[in-house]
Amino acid sequence: MNKQSMWSWHFSTAALVLIPVAVGINYIGKLIAGMLKLPLWLDSIGTVLAAMLGGPIVGALAGAINNIIYGFTDPISFVYAITSVVIGLVVGILFYKGYISSWGKAVVAGLIIGLVATVISTPLNIGFWGGQTGNIWGDALFAVVLANTESTWLASLLDELVVDVPDKLLVVLISYGIFKGLPQNVVQLYNNNDKVETLD
Amino acid sequence: MHNIDPISKLYYILFAIIIPIILPSFIVSVICVALSVLLLLAAKVIRKTLPVYSFVFLVLITVIVIQGLFRPGNETILFHLGPFAMHKEGLLFALTIVLRVTNIVSAFMLLVLTTKPSDLVESLVRRGMSPRIGYVIVSVFQIIPEMMSTMSTIMDAQRSRGMETEGKLLVRMKAFIPLLAPVVLGSLINTKERAMALEVRGFNSRNPKTYLNEEKTYSYSKWIQVAMLLVTIFAVAWRVFL
Amino acid sequence: MKKIVVDGLKYKYPLSEALALQDISFEIEEGEFIGIIGKNSVGKSTLCQALVGLVPHFYKGAYGGKVLVDGLEVRNHSIADISRKVGMVFQNPFTQVTGSKMTVYEEIAFGLENSGLPREEMRQRIDEVLRLMRIEHVKDHSPFDLSGGQMQRMAIASIMAMKPDILVLDEPTSQLDPAGSEEVFQAIQDFSQQGITVIMAEHKMEKIAQYCNRVLLLHEGRLVDFDTAEKIFSREDLKDYGVTAPVYTRVCRALGVKKQGCDGYPVTLEDAELALRRSFA
Repeated sequence: MNKQSMWSWHFSTAALVLIPVAVGINYIGKLIAGMLKLPLWLDSIGTVLAAMLGGPIVGALAGAINNIIYGFTDPISFVYAITSVVIGLVVGILFYKGYISSWGKAVVAGLIIGLVATVISTPLNIGFWGGQTGNIWGDALFAVVLANTESTWLASLLDELVVDVPDKLLVVLISYGIFKGLPQNVVQLYNNNDKVETLD
Repeated sequence: MHNIDPISKLYYILFAIIIPIILPSFIVSVICVALSVLLLLAAKVIRKTLPVYSFVFLVLITVIVIQGLFRPGNETILFHLGPFAMHKEGLLFALTIVLRVTNIVSAFMLLVLTTKPSDLVESLVRRGMSPRIGYVIVSVFQIIPEMMSTMSTIMDAQRSRGMETEGKLLVRMKAFIPLLAPVVLGSLINTKERAMALEVRGFNSRNPKTYLNEEKTYSYSKWIQVAMLLVTIFAVAWRVFL
Repeated sequence: MKKIVVDGLKYKYPLSEALALQDISFEIEEGEFIGIIGKNSVGKSTLCQALVGLVPHFYKGAYGGKVLVDGLEVRNHSIADISRKVGMVFQNPFTQVTGSKMTVYEEIAFGLENSGLPREEMRQRIDEVLRLMRIEHVKDHSPFDLSGGQMQRMAIASIMAMKPDILVLDEPTSQLDPAGSEEVFQAIQDFSQQGITVIMAEHKMEKIAQYCNRVLLLHEGRLVDFDTAEKIFSREDLKDYGVTAPVYTRVCRALGVKKQGCDGYPVTLEDAELALRRSFA
């Protein structure tokens, strides 16, 4: 696939309708994770799937709209919209370049996305919370590192890292698994690159 | 507050964030927070803010403790907490964080608790936001309940087939995919017919869109926006010249 | 006047090897009520979608031949343009709800807002279709709070408010209970009597026989026959195409009773009764 098509803003109606579904999948993922008392959020599966199916722009839009919608119940999520947008973009780019095409590659991609999310979220954490994340385990680590190294940035980075990397790794693996199980005609639906061929 | 233009409320968020940046002092931040809280009171939505504030304050307490104890540059000891010492510098820093977070959260709540999302979206679309994006935002609110009901059906079905959703972490992890995947697949398949149904109703029409409902007229929109602009200009002038 | 002209239509979905439609040609006159029948996945839905431009514009894929609706060549016009001439109603009433409107009234307005209709005209048209579809009493309800039959009538109302000349329905009652189906068929018949050209893919052969002027029989992407219901349902080889004739036709065939004045068996209850009375009197 060429660059131009990956960055096209003229996505199909199907790709557009994919976005609210992606936000719903994020929500349901988070809900099931909470219900099963899993120690991770798993609340970005929809964003990752949208990016795989519809490309980076659709992924980024799904991320942005996701956090804007959650902002209506929890205003803090507005602050982290940037992280969601970047997750959508990076997954879309990696996927379209063929870097998420096997389980092995998906593991690497999951780690990359976890790192990217950490790097984006850390300045937001510092600017907003003074460096913490609001997650008990991460914040405990933050306190320990801050006490021993005197570096807010390092403490904050590690705080986010221990929470984000396992979460994003699992999210990418789950999404890749679901993607592989999708019927071809569903995958095809969101692809807007084809022209109509002529049979005459 | 419910009768104020959503766009003015959006500007207010910007205003509440920018003013303390232009004039960084505790008093200015306190005034901003107080203003938002007063407006929330006037709008009679203060009850609905409690869950959000309680979560925020829970985290903020940990911020105060951690920064007070461990912030680099802590020198002046105020008092002792067991083996640890609380410092003035860390507590002052924590206070700026507390004010910043409360300020931003309060300003956002003023928008979200007094505005119907569909009104906000319609206001933005009338001002030039893409109606396609507007559609996406509004439809989320109706699609999520639909997906939730699908999920609870699946959950019942899986449980009656003897799926374990409690016990060891590995057991619970294994339950995740069979619960999620059917909802995902079903809702993705539905996107096809929904997209087609939108298309045949002129969703991608190039004609300029019209609106069934007349644009709501809001009183004082202009005055509110002009007042905020004037205060901002005044704040910049204060910062530059004094 | 010819309302629809299909000439040598061929179509292949993307990623698919086989043609979904092969060399289909037929013509439909203004005001006709046409039934499309055949087994599952022989191309009924594809053909319906080809009349509104979803084939090829929505799916892409490979396309040949020509489809003209009201003089408009489908291939060269956008779905939004074609939607002013041809409306389409789908199987599942739930997925057709836009999901962006709070009331039935607003839901029907969706298509009209998109086509840029003035407000007064919008209100007038919505009131009219609400009345015709007999859903006035639920106009302020949430679109998701309706029964299946009401929801499907809302879908038809949403399309008919756009005032197309042609209405295409793809198994509009397959997900409804008998009462809901009956309501929907009644509504469709009302529009047909107003002179709207109706094309309906449907499995309920009794309904096809009751309403349709002509019936189009599809098999594996090919047009087998396009004729009156009597001729189609009297075909000896009907079973080969996975179609079962209406019960009245089967009874009369078993008894060897033909419809008066034509070579086929009766297809509706009235005709069957008439024919049977005559031959046993």
